[in-house]
Order: sequence, then structure tokens, then C-alpha cells
Amino acid sequence: MIKNDRFKTSSVPEVDFSSAREMQRYLQEPEQMYVGAPGKHGYLRLGFELDSDGKSILRDIDRRVPLIAQQELYFDEEMPQMPCLYILSSGGPNVDGDRYQQDITVRKNALAWISTGAATKLAEMRYNYSGMIQNIVLEEGAYLEFMPEPIYPCRHTRFISDTRICVDSSATLFYSEIYMGGRKYYKEGELFEYDILSVCSHGERPDGEQLFREKFVIDPNVTPVRQLGIMGRFDVFANVIVMTPKAHADKIYESTEAFIDRDKMIACGITHLPNDAGLLFKVLGMEPGPVKKIVRDFCSRVRQQVKGHPVPPEFPWR
Amino acid sequence: MSIHTDADMSAISRLLQFTDSTFPVGTFSFSNGLETASFEHLVHDAPTLHAFTASQALQAAYSDGVAALHAHRAFLRGDYDAIAEADRMLILFKMNDEARMMLKRMGKKFAELMAKLFSNDIVSRWLQDIKEEKVPGTFPVAQGIAYAAAGVDEKALFCAHQYGVINMVLSATLRCVRVSHYETQKILFDLSENVEKLYEEASQMELKDMNAFFPELDILASLHEKGNMRMFMN
Repeated sequence: MIKNDRFKTSSVPEVDFSSAREMQRYLQEPEQMYVGAPGKHGYLRLGFELDSDGKSILRDIDRRVPLIAQQELYFDEEMPQMPCLYILSSGGPNVDGDRYQQDITVRKNALAWISTGAATKLAEMRYNYSGMIQNIVLEEGAYLEFMPEPIYPCRHTRFISDTRICVDSSATLFYSEIYMGGRKYYKEGELFEYDILSVCSHGERPDGEQLFREKFVIDPNVTPVRQLGIMGRFDVFANVIVMTPKAHADKIYESTEAFIDRDKMIACGITHLPNDAGLLFKVLGMEPGPVKKIVRDFCSRVRQQVKGHPVPPEFPWR
Repeated sequence: MSIHTDADMSAISRLLQFTDSTFPVGTFSFSNGLETASFEHLVHDAPTLHAFTASQALQAAYSDGVAALHAHRAFLRGDYDAIAEADRMLILFKMNDEARMMLKRMGKKFAELMAKLFSNDIVSRWLQDIKEEKVPGTFPVAQGIAYAAAGVDEKALFCAHQYGVINMVLSATLRCVRVSHYETQKILFDLSENVEKLYEEASQMELKDMNAFFPELDILASLHEKGNMRMFMN
């Protein structure tokens, strides 16, 4: 059980998953650095807003190791007024007992684009688990594209995340996650050998109205992951939440095709979130490249509808 | 094999009535994207149908099944607010548009039927709140209320819920997949073996614990939702 609280990272919120029943099997305190130790309790607070000239800037930043936010840059050629920021981790992969929290706010009418500098690796774990809480807040008219690189769980990874998304009814959020089955080409291959992935994303309005709650728990020791209807023969899964006003959502839905390409082994589907909150888009594939491309193309469709610009081609080194 | 039950005979009779295909919202055919799975050649014989149906049953167990159990318990406590909470949480959790529509239409229909069968304040209030759009009125919550009101215990409710999901798919199957009645009955028989294990897990879950990871089913449902390849007018 968690025993060391004397030296917990100060002045950042506690990342508490004590009520998550699916993680109750994984509460053993790590033999290495304890849960919540400095360096294992990462925190990042980012606040974007318009400056007095009406330019979107990164106004607030607060961080604790190992999370790092790079300097915001304005490299998007289609939307050069939008600050683009990469989140990095100086600690390498997430390990046993890591806890992270990311609080991201985009204030009234501001824009932002956020990604990660590289894939997020979730290391092999023997004790405890790694957990992450995210709070994403978009005020009136705000626009955020959150499109991180894929997440790689390793053998015996245990990972839980909880993402609270509070979006004004006039704002637009594009939020994507790509989950690899594992290190497919490591040794003899390592697919779906992790212990557990528990991922929850829930949306609400600023007045507290609850809009949707999506939760998936994948425990390959219990869940028949390869069963038809779950992952089937696919190895990579992307989940995209788009919260946007209904008029935009309806047009994006109409212009987005759902398909299963059995030759190229790639598939995607789209549906409306409950309570007119927006759209949910899912992709299945075999390799990260084609899945990332479909996610990016979908983001371009969203941006075109909401902002009148496409997403530029991906950098060739990404 | 011997079957022993302490349930009273009227409760067993109600259970049979509520799961009968002649009951307006008893068992029925709803394809759940099966036409698309058949067209995509994912479901084409008994083994693939077995896997598809098992996924549907598993998906329902940890979402609809959990909400039904919470509604059942709340009814027995006389806790209307907890029934409404289970109802709202289930709709928040249902990501597929067509699934939400189906759950609400069937839930309302079941509530209307319940109002004719039971003279009960909770049933009346729930139906009124559905009509006034204060609660979504989902089918699993209706099942929870009706089975509790009829004296059917929660294990039997869970069995009926699972039976309904499995039978719903298998009934539709006979119209679009080349399988026989013998094969569909064998699938139903075999999948019933899983129900106890699913109940053990679902019965321990809070509403916040509801979860589902079925991306391939989600994509099939999306193809179904966007396409015009459908057997039933939903």
C-alpha cells in the first residue's frame, strides 16, 4: 500500500485513483522510488489566451518534473496565428507508481495546438501502476487541437487515465488518442501483453451539465482482445473526441465516411456523442502511420469546417 | 442436472412473460450492425457468429447490465433518485446514436406497459418523467424496475437481460447469415454458460465503473448508422 507521503511533490494536486476498482490489484508500493516522490509526480498547467493585440499566446505555465512544455511556436502554415506546443517528459517512459496531471485551459476566443514530442511509452511494470489525470477547459469561442503521438504499452504495463473535458457550447475541441497493441516488433513481438489499460473521458458544460462519459478497460488476461468485435485482427486503435457546436458536428458527420478496407486492413467509424456534445471517431489499423494519417485528415476536416483552413501536411520526420 | 429455486411461482411466470417474444418488448430481433458484419464477411458461419454474439453480450453486461442491476436495487429500496441516476448515467455512457435511440424507444414502451401491469408510484412517476423528458427512460432501467416490481430477483434479471441481447442478435441472424436454427440454439446454449461469471463482475460495479471496449463493433455500428443496408426500420 502507499506509505510514503512525507516527501510528496508539493503544491500540485494529488493524482488520486483510489476509487478505481480495476486498479485494486495493483496497489503494491514500488521497491524503487515511492508513489508521489519528486520526479514521479509530474504536473503541467498550460493557459492559452488572447493578448491585448488579439494574438493567441501561452500566458500561464507551471510544471513539475518530469513533464516539460516546450516554447510555443507558430509553425502551422495554414493557421500561423495559432501557438503550437509540444509536451515532453524528461523521465523517459512512465514507470511503476508514476502519477501525472495536465491542466490545459484555452480562454475566450483563443487558439492552441498541442502534441507530444514523441510516442508515450508505458514501461513494463512490476509494482503499482502509472496514472494520469487531465483537465481540459475551453472557454467561449476557444479552439484546441490536441493530437499527441501514439501510446505504447509494454508487457505488464498498468495504466489508468481520467480526462475531464469542460467545453463551452461555442468552443471546439479536437482530442485524439492512439493506442498501440504493444511493441509489435520487439523480440518475438509483444502485442496485448500488458496487464491493464483503463481510459475514461467525460465531457461537461461550464454550468456542470454532464454530456458524455466514455470508459474502456482493457485487461488482455480477461478480455478476449482478439475476439471479433473487439480488436479482431487489428493492432492499433485511435479514439477521437470532437466537441463542437451541433451545426459544425452535423456537417462534419455528413462529410466523413465510415469504412472497412479489408485489403489495407484499416477501418474507421463515426457517431454523434450524447446530448449534442459533438462527435466520436474511431480508427482501427495495423501500423501507426496509416492510423495517424486518418486521424490527421479527420482533424483537417474539423478545422476546415470550424476555422476554414485545412491542417498542413505532417512534417516528414514525424 | 437438477434445478432448485426458491423463487415463487408467480415471479417465474412473470420472468417467462417478460422474456417471451410475444411480449411487446420481450425478445425481438435487432441486428446491432449484423447486416454490415455479414456484408463485410466478418460474420459468415457459426464460429464467427458465436464470436460476434459473445462480444455483443459482453458489451451489454458491463453497461446495460450494470444499470439494470442498479435500477432493480433502487426500486427495492424505494429510491427513485437512484433509478433516475442509473438512467441518466447509462445514456451518458452510450456512445452510439442508434443504440441510444433504441434504448429510449424500448424503455418508454416498457414503461407504458408497466403502468398497465403494476399499480406502483415509482412506475407511474418514471413514466411521467420520461414523457416530460426529465429522464431518458432507457430499456435496461425499465427491465430493472419491472423485474423488481414482479418479485424477480436480480440474478434472474441479469439472466433475462443477457438472454435478450443474445437472442436479439441470433434472431436477426437467421435472416442474413447462412446458419441453421440448430447452430443458433447451440450458440445461445453455450453463451449462457458465461452469464454467471459476467454477473459476478457486473454485480460489483458502481455506475461509474461501467465500461466497454468494442471498437470493431463501434465501427460496424457506424457503417450501419450511415448506410442504407438495414433489415429493420429502427
